[in-house]
Amino acid sequence: MSTVSTELAPLPRRENRAWKKLRANPAAMVGFVLVAFFILIAIAAPILPIDSPIATNWSQIRKPPSALHWLGTDDIGRDILSRMIWGARASLLAGVISVAIAVVLGVPLGVVSGYLRGWTDATISRMTEALLAAPFLILAIALAAFLGPSLTNAMIAIGLSAMPVFIRLSRAQTMDVLTEDYVESAHAIGIGHAALIWRYILPNIFPPILVQATLSIATAIIAEASLSFLGLGQQPPAPSWGSMLNVAKNFLDQAPWMALWPGIAIFLVVLGFNLVGDGLRDALDPRDT
Amino acid sequence: MSQPLLEVQDLAIRIRGTGRNLVDGVSFGVMPGETLCIVGESGCGKSLTALALMGLLASPPLEIAGGKALFQGQDLLGLTRAQFSRLRGDRLAMIFQEPMSALNPALRIGEQIAESVRRHRGASHRAARARALEMLEKVRIPAPETRLDEFPHQLSGGMRQRAMIAMALANDPALIVADEPTTALDVTIQAQILDLMRRLRDEAGTALIMITHDLGVVAEMADKVAVMYAGRVVETGTMAQVFGDPQHPYTIGLMSSMPAFGAGAGRLVTIPGMVPPISAMPPGCRFASRCPFRLPRCEAPPPLVQAGDHQAACWRAPLDALEVTA
Repeated sequence: MSTVSTELAPLPRRENRAWKKLRANPAAMVGFVLVAFFILIAIAAPILPIDSPIATNWSQIRKPPSALHWLGTDDIGRDILSRMIWGARASLLAGVISVAIAVVLGVPLGVVSGYLRGWTDATISRMTEALLAAPFLILAIALAAFLGPSLTNAMIAIGLSAMPVFIRLSRAQTMDVLTEDYVESAHAIGIGHAALIWRYILPNIFPPILVQATLSIATAIIAEASLSFLGLGQQPPAPSWGSMLNVAKNFLDQAPWMALWPGIAIFLVVLGFNLVGDGLRDALDPRDT
Repeated sequence: MSQPLLEVQDLAIRIRGTGRNLVDGVSFGVMPGETLCIVGESGCGKSLTALALMGLLASPPLEIAGGKALFQGQDLLGLTRAQFSRLRGDRLAMIFQEPMSALNPALRIGEQIAESVRRHRGASHRAARARALEMLEKVRIPAPETRLDEFPHQLSGGMRQRAMIAMALANDPALIVADEPTTALDVTIQAQILDLMRRLRDEAGTALIMITHDLGVVAEMADKVAVMYAGRVVETGTMAQVFGDPQHPYTIGLMSSMPAFGAGAGRLVTIPGMVPPISAMPPGCRFASRCPFRLPRCEAPPPLVQAGDHQAACWRAPLDALEVTA
């Protein structure tokens, strides 16, 4: 027995499998390109050679697309291209910040709930169920109306409405991780509660939360557009795709392009986030290798 | 003889609310630096015994129904959770069966080893990392500087088990409980891991409780053996005593059901029947229903008595007093 060699040949390094799978997925790559495009123009808005999004021009009212105004002008002569680009900021910001609110509040509540169980879990879970009982958009509208119309309040309202999903998800994932052998072996080396949550639970529940967050950004962008359409989000004259649609609905016959561009933009950015989210889900799914 | 490092007396474990004990009246002792192998088939209570010693019993539904486990004079069974978590990973360590799932997939190998060094020794990040590297070298993982920063999925099963051993030994524990540490590995890796464990044990003078169903592993590792059947210790002694002169019919059955090579190898001997379910466990000797040497007095539980040079729990022991009738 003692003649058996205890030396092993080193294994070759492996590339990150999830990233490789994601790159091999054309739909996800299309999604990435779409999302990256909108993020770029939103960031670059102040330095792009475009008109002011709020400058009116009474000689250029409801003009169709032309060399001067590539996407046309709206009912008070503002350049639609400029309003689209600045509106992307409102949409993306609302999408990202409201989901960040949902994650930052929802994940800790869910992890605590799944980790402690007992009455803490019962309290948090019943409250989550109460929030989930109301449809997402209705809840967001109610909260936004309660907080008062502004983009910031819309983001808070959307974030709070999206939070229950993250509580549920992280609670279930935490309970799942707690049954793993490596948690038992963590107990066996005397790991404390804080280290167990930070270094064992959170990193292992991260992938499904990332997927859910990406998909939730798409939903949040639609929610922001809906709230702005209803006048509960971005306030005039600041541009947002939702509020542009709201105005455009009065001129569908005379100036259909006013509704067309924001509609297409919302469609594309939501499609982009959904494709990325689906791609991430497939790439991070351990069952399917 | 010096003081035993661990002295387990009459340990009993049951499912809360039920009368019958899954582990019943188990007693054994481990001296510093000594290796005790607990052998038995699946479900005999050997893993429950190990988990109870580590304070890792899933309770509820399981609970300790009685007994003591004195470790360096301290009763493990009476410790609070906080006291236990200070002890575990420091003076008391455990190696698990499944190296594939017993390492945190989201934490680098080096950090997992360093974690327990930092927690128990209050070492700095840098010192803990140095200790982790030293441990990886000790368990002979090739290219340890590289492995330190790799994730578990980048390591093979044998290397993960080495990493687990490195974690368990990082704080120089006085006692390691190893629950079937080689069962999930293939045979050549098993041999390497056993070899490694024996070497590290001898270097550090660590006591070892090894849970196994593999008599080959026992022969490789053990100083002392405790054979368990249906939650009770049926025979205990030094390895040479138990293997050389088995006194309990179950131990005899186990020995003769080992596969053998060579000209003498015929059909594999088996023990007839099955372990009775816990709900139908006879009040007397738990092996009686399968025993070819059954007596009327087996209706009463046999005590662990001196049989030759070691101890067995059988009314027939010691065997030289046996009048063979069957």
